Amino acid sequence: MLRRTCLVVPLLALAAGAQTVSFNKDVRPILSDRCYACHGPDSAARKSKLRLDREEDSRLGIVPGSPEKSEVYQRITSTNKMKRMPPAYLGHQPLSQGETDILRRWIGQGAKYEPHWSLIPPRRPLTPPGEHPIDALVRAHLHREGLSLSPEAGRRTLIRRVSLDLTGLPPTPAEVDAFLADSSPGAYERVVDRLLASPRYAERMTIRWLDAARYADTNGYQSDGPRDMWRWRDWVLDAFNSNMPFDRFTIEQIAGDLLPNATLSQKIATGFHRNHSTSAEGGIVDEEFRVQYVADRTETTSTVWLGLTTGCARCHDHKYDPIRQKDFYQLFAFFNNVPERGFVYNFGNEEPYIKAPLPEQQAKLDDFDRRITAARQRVAQLEPQARAAQARWEKRVPKLTEEWTITDGLQLRAPQLESFDGSRIVDFDNQAAQFSFHDAYTFSAWIKPACGDCAILSRGEDYFEGQGHFLHLVNGKLRFHATYRWTDLAMRLETVQPVNLNEWQHVSVTYDGSMKASHVRVYINGVQQKLNILFDQPIWPLDTKEPFRIGAGGGKRFTGDIRDVRIYTRDLTEEEIGVITLLTDKARADRLRMWFLEVYAPQDVKQARAQLASLESERAKYLKTVPTVMVMAELDTRRKTYLLKRGAYDAPGEEVQPAVPAVLPQLKSDWPRNRLGLAQWIVSRENPLTARVTVNRYWQMLFGTGLVKTVEDFGSQGEWPVHPELLDWLAVEFMDSGWNVKHILKTIVMSATYRQSSSVSPALLQRDPENRLLARGPRMRLAAEMVRDQALFVSGLLVEKIGGPSVKPYQPPGLWQELFGGKGYEQDKGEGLWRRSLYTYWKRTVAPPNMINFDSPTREVCLVRETRTNTPLQALTLMNDIVYVEAARKLAERVFRSSPNDETRISNAFRLVLDRPPKPAESSAFNKALRQFQSYYASHPDDAQKYLKTGESPRDTTIGQPDLAAWAAVSSLLLNLDETVTKE
Amino acid sequence: MTRRQLLQRLPAGLGVASLSQLLRADSGLPGLPHHPPKAKRVIYLFQSGGPSQMETFDYKPRLVDFQGQDLPESVRQGQRLTTMSASQSSFPIVPSGYKFQQHGESGAWVSEMLPHTAKIADRLTFVKSLHTEQINHDPAVTFFQTGFQIAGRPSMGAWVVYGLGSETRDLPAFVVMISPGSGGGGQPLYDRLWGSGFLPTRYQGVKFRSVGDPVLYLSGPDGFPRENRRAFLDTLQEVNQLKLDETGDPEISTRIAQYEMAFRMQSSVPELVDLSKEPAHVLEMYGPDVHKPGTFAYNCLLARRLAERGVRFIQLYHRDWDHHGNLPKNFPKMCEQTDQPSAALISDLHQRGMLDDTLVIWGGEFGRTSYCQGRLTKDDYGRDHHPRCFTVWLAGGGIRPGLSYGATDDYCYNITENPVHVHDLQATILHCLGIDHKRLTYQFQGRHFRLTDVSGDVVQDILV
Repeated sequence: MLRRTCLVVPLLALAAGAQTVSFNKDVRPILSDRCYACHGPDSAARKSKLRLDREEDSRLGIVPGSPEKSEVYQRITSTNKMKRMPPAYLGHQPLSQGETDILRRWIGQGAKYEPHWSLIPPRRPLTPPGEHPIDALVRAHLHREGLSLSPEAGRRTLIRRVSLDLTGLPPTPAEVDAFLADSSPGAYERVVDRLLASPRYAERMTIRWLDAARYADTNGYQSDGPRDMWRWRDWVLDAFNSNMPFDRFTIEQIAGDLLPNATLSQKIATGFHRNHSTSAEGGIVDEEFRVQYVADRTETTSTVWLGLTTGCARCHDHKYDPIRQKDFYQLFAFFNNVPERGFVYNFGNEEPYIKAPLPEQQAKLDDFDRRITAARQRVAQLEPQARAAQARWEKRVPKLTEEWTITDGLQLRAPQLESFDGSRIVDFDNQAAQFSFHDAYTFSAWIKPACGDCAILSRGEDYFEGQGHFLHLVNGKLRFHATYRWTDLAMRLETVQPVNLNEWQHVSVTYDGSMKASHVRVYINGVQQKLNILFDQPIWPLDTKEPFRIGAGGGKRFTGDIRDVRIYTRDLTEEEIGVITLLTDKARADRLRMWFLEVYAPQDVKQARAQLASLESERAKYLKTVPTVMVMAELDTRRKTYLLKRGAYDAPGEEVQPAVPAVLPQLKSDWPRNRLGLAQWIVSRENPLTARVTVNRYWQMLFGTGLVKTVEDFGSQGEWPVHPELLDWLAVEFMDSGWNVKHILKTIVMSATYRQSSSVSPALLQRDPENRLLARGPRMRLAAEMVRDQALFVSGLLVEKIGGPSVKPYQPPGLWQELFGGKGYEQDKGEGLWRRSLYTYWKRTVAPPNMINFDSPTREVCLVRETRTNTPLQALTLMNDIVYVEAARKLAERVFRSSPNDETRISNAFRLVLDRPPKPAESSAFNKALRQFQSYYASHPDDAQKYLKTGESPRDTTIGQPDLAAWAAVSSLLLNLDETVTKE
Repeated sequence: MTRRQLLQRLPAGLGVASLSQLLRADSGLPGLPHHPPKAKRVIYLFQSGGPSQMETFDYKPRLVDFQGQDLPESVRQGQRLTTMSASQSSFPIVPSGYKFQQHGESGAWVSEMLPHTAKIADRLTFVKSLHTEQINHDPAVTFFQTGFQIAGRPSMGAWVVYGLGSETRDLPAFVVMISPGSGGGGQPLYDRLWGSGFLPTRYQGVKFRSVGDPVLYLSGPDGFPRENRRAFLDTLQEVNQLKLDETGDPEISTRIAQYEMAFRMQSSVPELVDLSKEPAHVLEMYGPDVHKPGTFAYNCLLARRLAERGVRFIQLYHRDWDHHGNLPKNFPKMCEQTDQPSAALISDLHQRGMLDDTLVIWGGEFGRTSYCQGRLTKDDYGRDHHPRCFTVWLAGGGIRPGLSYGATDDYCYNITENPVHVHDLQATILHCLGIDHKRLTYQFQGRHFRLTDVSGDVVQDILV
């Protein structure tokens, strides 16, 4: 409605052509919404030769200058239901009178087409000198509407507004007082600068970016297992904190790994595109989900940076915008080269991921490395001495009666010879070989098989596809199985060469716990074997109740002899396998050396070696505590990308190469055809979209609605910007400033437009209910996280600590178990309860309800549009959720201690929460309530005690319980006020 | 509550715009219903995990002849399987271990494991030819509940409430209840299944829980009784009203109304779950589990009570039908949990004259394979997911009772007659509610989205 009333004309040329119909503003929305589905860009859906999205094709149905002669006009105005367009027989409504009028005038005026507005690069409109350009543009616009800017908001309102907007927290009473007292010029600007310099600014900016980036602490699909992406989240915090230019911010997140000599930080940044949901549901087709992940990246990139709904072109050409299905898959191709799988690990990060040590952890690792180097040098220094001693010792060896072998990590050894007849089984106790997929281990044995299909060792169910670990002979080849579920959670491999039947030979298998079948080594007689990997997905914990067995397992039995069965709880090296096999001179020499060093070496040699070993193991142990983060990486050989017919993973069409949509400016020839080139293109000056889309999102953040309301869609179906010149001015200013985020935010909040009072007259409300004309300041409910953070802040509970692993604050019990059973949510103790909501552990399938109730996105998919609803569940949350009840109690303590006088206390409470003293009517209403609560708790001390027990923070015991309870009730009232949860 | 009463209860100073906004939020979209509805509300008894059609309603006597034989390639035709059974070396057919009989005048086939359902067979319509596009739980249940397999779209209940609004001002219009199955668990059920997707969140389903508060954050803190809450709200509304007078922001009047609704919910919900006034014979009808909060039986009775109180969309989920293995051990338990309460709900609604305008649906997200998954032994078998045919039943508002619709082949693998796609079923459900599924749309990201995505035909044959 609005866009029909505000014509867009160049500034300073106000009266010109008011009657001229604009294709972009007036006509395209009608054609797009009512005609393009069948007469638009989608070639497959086109119902006739007539195409109305391109000027040359439209002439089939349009005679410029003559609406009456144009079939299009005849059809839309036809009273014959069989002729009328859009077709009545398909249930479409006819065009409205207003819509046909516009089309008639447009055809009459020559039916000129224009490129879609958002595809034309933004140009900075001229603005009069001496006036804030935003205000000049808004004022000119309002002037045409017969409106003007509202007066500036009161100072208290203003500092509260800008503090919430830039830091997500309200100002303290002291900050308000300082601002009120500062009558010098630039007082407001100094506040803005202070806020932008605060680390809280980064926290505020980060949470919106997390919504866009679909960031979470869990995988998202089905059983929704955990992952660790907080190092990426902290990268975003750092980036906002240091005011990283938005172009760099973009390049590092999309392609940081491809930058020359990429730093750890630049690699962490690429976690952006690993934040999508992933699936570990049994039975899924790997490729189907892998394709989904790539599509998610493609769509998210389009939404976040380009404001294009490319997802529509995943299955067919876009119905409204000039994006062909091929364009989608060309864009898709940039993200289709990650070494990844569709079926993911459900208990932590999925490959590719990297260790991402914090600076202090890196320092510790460096220290380890220095000490390890020193220890190695010490061992090397002692080497000649050790050699000499060994030579002396070797002369004594023949006289030694002991039998030495490798015992480090030896869990079980069954040295005796066992003979098997195809039915006999040797069982062991339940302790041996209880390995899971992340444990390292070694199995070894001497065998003399009389069978080519049989079991050598096992710890698992007694059928072939059963759960457990199995060493078999299959067709004479050594076969190793580690199975959780045969069909999708297992590893299987076999040797290329068969063993020799009826001969003694040594067989062994080692595995390093890396969850990769390719890391398994198999040896026959100490010689590493070539392997065929039959299945490689050992990514689920394995735990079987079956005993460890020799000569049986997996439904098979052994015939022949087996001796010296060993299990080690580590993966022996090739050299060590040689030593336990002892078939070569080298192996025998190695054995002597190991034996000597372990038992007979001089004390200082032993000490030096022990020192080195202990440092290495300590470092390995420490390294396990270092967080990891999933990142982007590239395959060595590019994975081919095909257009997928109907979007189906298994219906490849023509092969496509990485490229950007044809309708947009293309990649420069010197940019690589990979994610890095794409990222450079996204933030290039020629790209008409990125800067507009980004500043529009900032506008939404501050004003509640974007200048283009459809922040995710700048295409034909998206909204025409209410202030196109303003949007362009901001976009160009943003780029000219070097993509300086703080600069553009400061520019906006310094404007008179932003600083207006948000009070609204009934007439203006009627005229402009959504405040799109900007004749008043924004008044809107706080975002979910601000509602909670503010309560923690004003009550003094907030623990301000930047970054780190996600925390688990209060949550109603049972929510996680209801989803999938298990241990459920383990609430934090202490400070984790009171951190900013940004750090709250985010489980996608059961997102924190007190966030969801306040319209937070679930983060299952990218969401950039902010919505605000007003529901009874919000009322229940604010009244009854522990976090708010506890905050009310702590606020009450602050208020109570602040003065002996009830009137003053009420006033102080208002100042703490709302940054203003109460008005007389409010004061008296609160006083009355206070007296009611006081009288209730005075006569019900038990209730007072119960009421004050909510929450884990200690209670101030110097305050009488009935008094404190009454004040807690009053404080809760204050936290529930509309004004409290609103930015005015 | 009448419109007049509502007007009287609204605070003074409420602007015209905001009043109409408030009323609109409750009365649905203008122009809806599109046609006179047969059903005013829906009770959806979702059987999560995918019950086997061969053990419940789709009688396949010839499977006995095929027992142990491999599923012929001529039947399978290279169709997709889940990767849980795709790598099996064979696909041995396994017949149902249960007896079937025809029941009622309609002669509907019902398994011996569902004796109560059998008794009301004439009130039900069995659609034996339902099929879906999804083969794994997460995408399949998401597809069923939102019309699309990837998260992000509004759920069926959210669409319905968005279109038709609410008939109650004391309870949420869309309520969800979940019961654990025989194993105490089952497939996970995510908030997105009753989420509002890109619709405003006020249309999302409200989960009624069996532990803690029935509705999250419903009960006040300990030591804060209702009389305090009243005083609290009176002051809150008074001060909010001052703000409304000052700023003219209609959001404030909405907030005032929402706090009143929250207050009403604090009494209406406990009243709802208080079963003490239910007569003994009614409780008995639902079976012994009805006394245990959180069971399917208990939820069925609550569903009736919610329906009586004007709740528009009542979504139950009963979990744990995912019988990949050990079917003979676990399937009977699931039947025992669901059979009697489902039948009782139908009878109960019928006795109260509510079945005529309440649409009840029973079924899961897909069916199961007629071949065995895992080890087939003398007394044990399992079945994998099967999207190509499965059975649901419908009853009540708008549905022609006593009908068996659609058919499958002897292998219970392919549909031979009257296929019904998930989108067709959704279109039919909306149709019964007076909604043209093609016209209930919402523009998001430039596209007019609807529950049935780009397909769906109303199954006219099963309508009254």
